[in-house]
Amino acid sequence: MPAKKGGLKRIFIVVFFLEVIILIISGGLNRQLQIGFEEGRFFIRNVIHEYNLQEKITEEFQPDRYLQEKGEKAEIYGSEKLYTLFSKIFSVNNAVSAFHLLRILFIVNLAMLGLAWLIRRQIFKRPSKPQVLIEMLYTFFEDFVRDTLGKKNLRFTPYIVTLFLFIWTCNMIGLIPIPGMMEPTRNLNVPLGLGFMAVTLVHITAIKHKGLINWFKGFAEPLAFLAPLNIVGELSKAISISFRLFGNILGGAIIMLVVSSLVKFVMLPIGLNLFFGLFVGTIQAFVFTMLALTYIGVEIAE
Amino acid sequence: MEYIARAAALLGAGICMGIGALGPGVGEGFVAGKACEGIARSPENASLITRTMLVGQAVSESTGIYSLVVALLLIFST
Amino acid sequence: MEITREIIQIAAYLGAGISVSIASVTSGIGVGYIAGEASFAMMRQPRAGDQLFRNMFISQAVTETGGIFSLVISLLLLFGGFDVVEGGWYRFAAMLAAGFAIGFGSIGPVLGSGYTGGQACKAIGRMPKFSNAILGNMLIGQALAQTSSIFALVIALLLLYSTPLQPASASWGQVILKTLSLLAAGISIGLGTMGPGTGIGYVAGRASEMIGRHPAERPNIMRTMFLGAAVSESTAIYSLVISFLLLFAIH
Repeated sequence: MPAKKGGLKRIFIVVFFLEVIILIISGGLNRQLQIGFEEGRFFIRNVIHEYNLQEKITEEFQPDRYLQEKGEKAEIYGSEKLYTLFSKIFSVNNAVSAFHLLRILFIVNLAMLGLAWLIRRQIFKRPSKPQVLIEMLYTFFEDFVRDTLGKKNLRFTPYIVTLFLFIWTCNMIGLIPIPGMMEPTRNLNVPLGLGFMAVTLVHITAIKHKGLINWFKGFAEPLAFLAPLNIVGELSKAISISFRLFGNILGGAIIMLVVSSLVKFVMLPIGLNLFFGLFVGTIQAFVFTMLALTYIGVEIAE
Repeated sequence: MEYIARAAALLGAGICMGIGALGPGVGEGFVAGKACEGIARSPENASLITRTMLVGQAVSESTGIYSLVVALLLIFST
Repeated sequence: MEITREIIQIAAYLGAGISVSIASVTSGIGVGYIAGEASFAMMRQPRAGDQLFRNMFISQAVTETGGIFSLVISLLLLFGGFDVVEGGWYRFAAMLAAGFAIGFGSIGPVLGSGYTGGQACKAIGRMPKFSNAILGNMLIGQALAQTSSIFALVIALLLLYSTPLQPASASWGQVILKTLSLLAAGISIGLGTMGPGTGIGYVAGRASEMIGRHPAERPNIMRTMFLGAAVSESTAIYSLVISFLLLFAIH
């Protein structure tokens, strides 16, 4: 890991305090705990006595089913036209969750484009701090690519760095405790798409490198009748890397929801948030990228 | 009667994934442990060892993937 | 069969017993292994006694986490007030499954953490100069191994707190369907964390010992440990996904 020892500690402390401040401002605190002055006395008390966990989880993870069960009028941003448009495209059962997913993906893409523009603009001046950070990240991954694929194949580095930055940004969105800010990787469609994209790239590289006929022969490698098993193995690559990412992020999100609703206390969920958001999020993004790189490396090395 | 068949399928899904996760977990851990040892002893081969480790883990995980697929089929197709 | 409060209490007592007794088997093994390795290392290197003692104490405390989780669940089962008659067979199955999930779910992680702690003690006995690096690596590895027991704890808490009461109009078939799906969720995560927990513990243990032997290769070894542990955890993640599906997708 590139970060220094003291730097990591500082990041943790800064994120901790930022989360506390955002929680207080966004009203996440006030939903369960009432804090204020009454008759000249300061008080903190618990407002909600009944808390239905099942309903809460359905609301958070299956918004469409929640709306159907409640029988509420479905609308997006208060407009029914938008809802009917989305339900025509994505069917009635997925309209709201598809809208949430697209909104967050749009934010992630804007953030990454903005980052690229900012760095590109200042590239030839005195290197600024963000530029140095991004360059460190780039050289960090470039070393991996050189080790795994050799000096000739450094053209894969932009893909690898982009993959890491995209997944990492997606995972970090869960650290912002504003309602509606969910990790896009929590939806199975995003990791599955990334996984199939990576495996497709692996096979395109293999065809380019070995030629079409040798690529076909590669499936019948030890014995010809083992070809179905080889094809299933290729599919299972995509399934395993995408389910690993999806399950880790989903598990972290549900754990946070359960613990924060059970203890009705602010400090513990923030500690868990740091573990499951920062630590697990970073590690899973790194593992996804490294696995994609390794799969490419296996095809090239043969 | 159809309720009972579906209930049995669900119980089967739980048992399938539970027991199916046993072997791959231990096996992948063993692979990774030995890879750590190998990298400590011959650091110049680090990238080769890492690649072998990841490929070996991917292969030994395939039985876990089979359990997952069977469990998903049992849950969604009955 | 008509459900009574006594029948639901049977499930509570059974679940509490299963969870604590099974979890304490490997807690004992893991903690004992750490103490044994620490004693052996002290015999080799008596001057490192303080560092070894500190390392032994910390690693035993982390190893006990899985056992403490199951103690919490069993106390909740006994005194949490879940044994109401309105819960019906749903509650019966949920309480049994919660005990099963956390009891079997803490076997693997605790065994793995114990192995990690023991190997770290061995390494410190060999190279007392690098005790801080080994301690840091050991704590990270044990945290990775205990992640799967946290998954089991969450499934147990979900089983206890989010199981609906049995509706009076539910037919016999519906009751069997829901009951068996709750039981299956507990079995899936309970058995599914055993393998990954042990495997990650083995990875972290080998990494700790090798840092003790070749301290110069620490960044490389730690990177491999992270990668290997994260990949080994995937089967526990599959079990978690199946458990969530069984809990929430069955109506």
